Amino acid sequence: MAAAAEVKKIIIDTDPGIEDAMAIFLALRSPEVEVIGLTTIYGNVYTALATRNALHLTGLISPWPKDHMLPSLVILLKLMNSFTPRTVQNLVLLILSMVPMDLAIKISLHRKESLLAMSAPDFLIEQANLYPGKAIQQDPSFVKNIGQIVLLGGAFAVNGNANPAAEANVSFSSLRCCRYCVTSGANILAVGINVTHQVVLTEADRDKLASSTGTFALYLCKILGVYFNYHNEAYSTKGVYLHDPTAMLASINPSLLTYTEGSVRVQRNGITGLTLLYNKQKSCWMNLYKVNGIDSILYETLVLCINVRTGIVDTFDQVCRNHGVDRSTFGEGGGHSRWTSVLKLVMERLMD
Amino acid sequence: MEKKSHDGVVVNGGNDGVVGLNAKMNKLIIDTDPGIDDSMAILMAFQNPEVEILGLTTVFGNVSTENATRNALLLCEIAGCPGVPVAEGSPGPLKGGRPRVADFVHGSDGMGNIFLPPPNAKKSDKSASEFLVEKVTEYPDEVSVLALGPLTNVALAIKRDSSFASKVKNIVVLGGSFFALGNVNPAAEANIYGDPEAADVVFTSGANIVVVGINITTQVQMTDDDLLKLKQSNGKYAQLLSDMCKFYRDWHVKSDGVYGIFLHDPVSFVALVRPDLFTYKKGVVRVETQGICMGHTLLDQGLKKWNGSNPWTGYFPVSVAWTVSVDEVLSYIKTMLTKP
Repeated sequence: MAAAAEVKKIIIDTDPGIEDAMAIFLALRSPEVEVIGLTTIYGNVYTALATRNALHLTGLISPWPKDHMLPSLVILLKLMNSFTPRTVQNLVLLILSMVPMDLAIKISLHRKESLLAMSAPDFLIEQANLYPGKAIQQDPSFVKNIGQIVLLGGAFAVNGNANPAAEANVSFSSLRCCRYCVTSGANILAVGINVTHQVVLTEADRDKLASSTGTFALYLCKILGVYFNYHNEAYSTKGVYLHDPTAMLASINPSLLTYTEGSVRVQRNGITGLTLLYNKQKSCWMNLYKVNGIDSILYETLVLCINVRTGIVDTFDQVCRNHGVDRSTFGEGGGHSRWTSVLKLVMERLMD
Repeated sequence: MEKKSHDGVVVNGGNDGVVGLNAKMNKLIIDTDPGIDDSMAILMAFQNPEVEILGLTTVFGNVSTENATRNALLLCEIAGCPGVPVAEGSPGPLKGGRPRVADFVHGSDGMGNIFLPPPNAKKSDKSASEFLVEKVTEYPDEVSVLALGPLTNVALAIKRDSSFASKVKNIVVLGGSFFALGNVNPAAEANIYGDPEAADVVFTSGANIVVVGINITTQVQMTDDDLLKLKQSNGKYAQLLSDMCKFYRDWHVKSDGVYGIFLHDPVSFVALVRPDLFTYKKGVVRVETQGICMGHTLLDQGLKKWNGSNPWTGYFPVSVAWTVSVDEVLSYIKTMLTKP
């Protein structure tokens, strides 16, 4: 295959998790990407169970080399060390968990080349405090060694799902690390629940999966019940949000989503976990704040933040307006039916 | 003749100018920091026969509190109502410190640097919060408050009298930015940023509250063409307002690339008298009082049943303006401003 060089290598940081499982299956069924490893972290489940689940899920795939399933950060360190500059350009780190903290730890440990067992969440928190996100600063080369970091997290211009302000992955993360991650200069694509809440798998969709012969589809149908029940209870809906699969598709086929670019900041104290995107449409701020010297907030934002591409809700005019985005800039097909194509692709590949 | 709209805001539902015999005057106190768009809203209120202005209370924001008081007195005189009490409010936010004053938007006099001569009338002996409590106690369930600046005075009234929140008919707040960018920084809108603690006190007080954020008000703009028409009109205050608006308009060009002006305060006044021109979402609103998002207003839309408690649980919901009939609101404002 001549295009082999263009196949993206992908590391999935995950806390499986029902829709994590769906996302992993999706990646394994997608020729555009080559999954070169999973790293695990707590979130949906404890890390030990996440690792066990990850091993179990990948165990369903026969050609999967078992040694790619080392627990947690080990695999990432190995992979990072083994990449040549050419191959890393293609490397995508997809973070389906509360990445930033974990990422920061991994980066810091990568620097020290030490290997630590990480069985308990306490350890992670301790490490996060030991290395308050400075990892990226300590090892600036890390961000250059990664083609792209795709982050499932944040709630841009919508309510969160951990509390009205915060999305769960961001909320559970060490927010200091989160901040350093988004301000690190890495190429980050953030897929927030403002996007993933648009991709809903209904009961009818589940029935379709169940009537297929796809191994993964049938497996998922067995475990989706809990997820449907949860949504019914929490949101009074008869469908489930496909957070992780949507983020996965953003890695596999970015053209399925539309984006806006700007600085993202995370509120770290007070009512924590709010993610705020500023896409620089109000040009007066920089001058205003420099002249008056009122506040360091903006100054800091403008100086420290790099561009974070954020998936946006392309079905809602209001959000376009909020973000100062002209809907017509989405080009052909921009808008309403985009999410259905996301869902369609997820279904197709799982039923395959 | 009365139409009960959202949260008991009572408006006259008839056509323009057709006031039924039984139509009640809406008693109104405007808490304000005039301010160019404040001036527009205040003069609109004075012109509205359905509104009885009990008084103005002043606060810092667009100008210092002292200048706000001077301007409020001036506006009462301009409107031919020099007897309307003006009660001066807090010179700074609840937590103390220097108030943030947006003279770069409204000019050093708060009225677009037109430097009118000082008023003859004197301010009330009472403080703003005293005045608010007194009037609401005198006319329970009858007094509306239109809060056009930082919410310090309203918060002080709530703290002064624990029954204030239940006795005030409603409070229409211009402030915040819901699921949209702020105007002071990406997180915060100016009125809320001016005193976030006060805003949180007010939003969680249990009073009947309608919040109109800049996500709504920035949709209603007067273009350069509209401003020209205003200038050429016979509107009672058209010349004065045109003069004031020059400075304001130039700032909009510089700041937002908008060739015209946002009608923040007039839109909020319309929300008071014509609530039917808006739709609302009800939910608990909290204000961030610290960190990089200080002054951010966040509404829990109630889409999710939360597992356990969070800073939003247990508080009374408020009404947040969600959509606006832009054309109708704009035409209402233009009609009022060009009325001879």
